[in-house]
Amino acid sequence: MPGSASYAIFLLGTILEALVVVCAVRRKVLRKYFVLNLYMLLCVFVSLWRYHVIAHDGVQSLTYRYFYFYSDALLTIVLYFGLISLYIAVFEEMKVERYLRMGAIVLLAGTGWFSYAVVSQSSHRIMTYFAFELSQNLYFVGLILTYVLWAAVLKMKQTHALLVQLVLSLGIYFSACAASYSLSNLHPHYYSYVYYLVSVVGCLLPLSWAYAFWRVPQDARLSPSRLAMAVSQ
Amino acid sequence: MSRRLVVLLLPMLVLVAAMGLKTAVTAHGDGSFIMANGAAPVPVLRNGPDPLPTPWRNGPDPLPTPWRNGPDPLPTPWR
Repeated sequence: MPGSASYAIFLLGTILEALVVVCAVRRKVLRKYFVLNLYMLLCVFVSLWRYHVIAHDGVQSLTYRYFYFYSDALLTIVLYFGLISLYIAVFEEMKVERYLRMGAIVLLAGTGWFSYAVVSQSSHRIMTYFAFELSQNLYFVGLILTYVLWAAVLKMKQTHALLVQLVLSLGIYFSACAASYSLSNLHPHYYSYVYYLVSVVGCLLPLSWAYAFWRVPQDARLSPSRLAMAVSQ
Repeated sequence: MSRRLVVLLLPMLVLVAAMGLKTAVTAHGDGSFIMANGAAPVPVLRNGPDPLPTPWRNGPDPLPTPWRNGPDPLPTPWR
């Protein structure tokens, strides 16, 4: 069973995920960022169900493992569509929504095909490994897409503060996940620390989104070019 | 280049970049899973979500008796 620190982080993360949806409802941005809020709502339900499974079967049980990885794949797909909804918001004025949707479907299908091609050669439990592989591959696709989106925000001089903050939070989240992943691979003896780091990173995304929904007004503007200059200095 | 071609080409470029990055990150690894949605405890395991397999064998059949050339009786020593 995980320790009390794990449970505390788990509880905190679930509360923060619920807080994102509450803040979005209070600030009346639920419909505008519907997919992001749907992702957070699903995270809450999945967290509750994961807790239920841990309480009944334990964290080392096969039930928890399978439920964890299948639900993770589902959440990653929803997060992917949340990222695409940010693309649609950034490119709103160019009227390319139809092409963005087509591109998103093509990319998801390509990632699914690639994942299947990998697992079909080496596994007898194709469905389980497929969910696992797809989840990991979509993380890296999301990482690349977030940086491309950030470049587009800078290039198009997008000044919508809330949108910029959501994109930046997502970029930091994906980067932290990839960094922790590579750290645990390069230095396996840090795995026990990275184990906690991953859960903490899982709390940072809902925290930053809840802050953005709560504190940043819908019509607030800023200059991302200034931000880019500040980062480069 | 038409927009439809761009819609096909760009996702493929993103996919190649993402898989390249994944390969670079996992080059020295053992396939352990670390990334996750939410703050739930990550199941500690290596090489995917399945339990470790039993030692590998060629199928479920019983091990063969020591190899012989067919079922015929052994010949008597040659003279």
